[in-house]
Amino acid sequence: MELKKKMIRLNQHFSTKEEAITAAGQLLVEDHCVQPEYVQSMIDRNNELSTYMGNFIAIPHGTDAGKQYIHKTGISVMQIPEGVEFGSAKDSKLVTIVFGIAGLNNEHLDVLSQIALFCSKLGNVAQLSDAQSEQEIINLLKEVGE
Amino acid sequence: MDSKQVSTKPKSSLKAKVQRFGTALSGMIMPNIAAIIAWGLVTALFMVPGGWMPNKHIAQLINPMLHYLLPLLIGYVGGRMVYEERGAVVGAIATTGVIVGAKVPMFLGAMIMGPLGGWCIKKFDQLFLDKIKTGFEMIYNNFSAGILGMILAIIGQFIVNPLVVSGSNLAAKGVAWIISVHLLPLANVFIEPAKVLFLNNAVGNGILVPLGIQQASQAGKSILFLLESNPGPGLGILLAFCMFGKGNAKASAPGAVLIHFFGGVHEIYFPYILMKPMLIISAILGGVAGTFTFQIMGAGLKAAASPGSIIAVLLMTPKGSYLANLAGVLVAAVVSFVVSVPILKNNKSTDEDLDAKKEQMEQMKSDSKATDPKLDTTNVKVSIQKIIFACDAGMGSSAMGASLLRDKLKKEGVTDVPVTNLAVRNLKPEPNLLVVTQNELAERALEKTPDAMHVSVDNFMNSPRYDEIAQMLKQDNSSVSEVETKQPGHSIFSDIDFAQIKQIRFVTDSHHVGSTTMAVSEFNQELQTADKALRADRVILSDVKDQADQLLVTTTALQADLRAKVSQAQVVVVSNMLENDDLKELVLHLN
Repeated sequence: MELKKKMIRLNQHFSTKEEAITAAGQLLVEDHCVQPEYVQSMIDRNNELSTYMGNFIAIPHGTDAGKQYIHKTGISVMQIPEGVEFGSAKDSKLVTIVFGIAGLNNEHLDVLSQIALFCSKLGNVAQLSDAQSEQEIINLLKEVGE
Repeated sequence: MDSKQVSTKPKSSLKAKVQRFGTALSGMIMPNIAAIIAWGLVTALFMVPGGWMPNKHIAQLINPMLHYLLPLLIGYVGGRMVYEERGAVVGAIATTGVIVGAKVPMFLGAMIMGPLGGWCIKKFDQLFLDKIKTGFEMIYNNFSAGILGMILAIIGQFIVNPLVVSGSNLAAKGVAWIISVHLLPLANVFIEPAKVLFLNNAVGNGILVPLGIQQASQAGKSILFLLESNPGPGLGILLAFCMFGKGNAKASAPGAVLIHFFGGVHEIYFPYILMKPMLIISAILGGVAGTFTFQIMGAGLKAAASPGSIIAVLLMTPKGSYLANLAGVLVAAVVSFVVSVPILKNNKSTDEDLDAKKEQMEQMKSDSKATDPKLDTTNVKVSIQKIIFACDAGMGSSAMGASLLRDKLKKEGVTDVPVTNLAVRNLKPEPNLLVVTQNELAERALEKTPDAMHVSVDNFMNSPRYDEIAQMLKQDNSSVSEVETKQPGHSIFSDIDFAQIKQIRFVTDSHHVGSTTMAVSEFNQELQTADKALRADRVILSDVKDQADQLLVTTTALQADLRAKVSQAQVVVVSNMLENDDLKELVLHLN
């Protein structure tokens, strides 16, 4: 699968992680990847077990039980330049890029793997966080695959 | 595995090797006993003619079960023993090659092709798996196993199949020759080993039954029907296991006695012999003694006793031969029992083997339990053969983590340890396993796989644990990693007056807000770790105010614009705000 322009939102502002996850999930709903119930399952999953991955990125996705709401595989991207807190005041886990994920049959693994390899370098996450267009984000993530 | 571990293993004697071989063979049969029983019951109940309630329609099951189901299952399990699910599938495909066209049930062929298939795909994966580009794993997985399976099936068809067929022909010819020279009891020297290798039907139905029918049509009975179907030798061995066996074998033996002796499914005792190959001597001596008794007492059956159950034997016994037939079965059982007992009792080497294995297991257990969050890299290095990244759904985090770790291992030249991802609930105990999880899941993972080595990570994207794992698994430890030393002396902070700084701000333009947010967060965490009171924040260039108590951090690109704006504030210019050693040094200067 490939990342689509319409699944990327630049320059978003959120005051809580729930808002950020909901927005990422909403894009998946709009693209008919998931039923609206999936969004709640993404929030639940994040409460149970943080989807913060380190390096300023989070990959909210549903719980195991939430898999039933997935119609097709999809990935959404939220760029949050000012950051949103996924941790606590004491233990800050600021996130500038949120990848919303709905995965069926492991179809999303290639893209996810690219994201992982790319984002393991902090400088690359910085480029994503500063990207000025959707295409720039797509291009950045594409580089890794080759 | 590296050479060190191999050399510390005790040198295995030929006997131990034979035993290990036998254990491997029985390991392929044991899980499939249920299928053998299903086939045996269908045969005993519905075979036409000869079953208890002959039924043509149901009897259609008999041949496909014997010729396809059982060998395929054995091939599947044989492949799985070598290389999990992938090995199992390739093993089953390869087994098909020896099945087609063979008239004998291909148990032996399956026991060759199954493990061979598993081994081939394992080696193939070791060579190529790490060279596969991200995203192409699925295609590689399916096509490599598919193509390899196809090739093996063809090889099986042309090479292994004729070998096994000629093997069973040889056994059949041996039996025919012995009958022709009237040394009937010696026929069991061929029959018993052939039976254990699942060639019983080839010998029984191929030679003995046709010859027996000839004799019976003239004399009214034939001793030949009894040679292979005599349940005595197997009974003796199983009874010996009931009394002097150990562990699982002992516990399962009584059930096996029933199925063997009354159900006539001889296949059930073959694995017990394969476990302790010396027992073949008991079977042979029991068979020889039984046949000898049959011969001197004039035993015989009216027709083939199939399956070889004591009930079938008695049903086929002509009047006047009951005593002779029962005596032969009894003698066979007694002899094989008497010979089996010392073999089972005095098999010290296996006991030691087992004990040694247990000790090894205990050792591994305590090793893994004692592992604290920082990896203890001594002793465990060689034992890890597989890494599983576990998360809640196996959908997101674990897939990312696995990608990263795989990449890291590849860079370190570690190519023989596969890294996969899985949902925690699907974890199952495996030998030499390393499980990586998020801290929060560590406990659940430990419950699922108590014997595995466990590592938990906090930061999936950039955990120092990955490097530690890679270092631990690195084959060649000799190359000492070079320590980068920073040039002392020059510091970009030499003309900064730290005493008056009350505020520190990272200056950016509107296009670099995201990365600056990251840099500020990173910097503040450094401050926190270093127990400094001060915290930095982010400011857009146009909003900067010129104050003397400010320290402004900016990049080379914005330096000129910033300097044009401020005169009192102190400015630090860095090439890059993230992961910058200068900024780390700056932390130490601050309050």
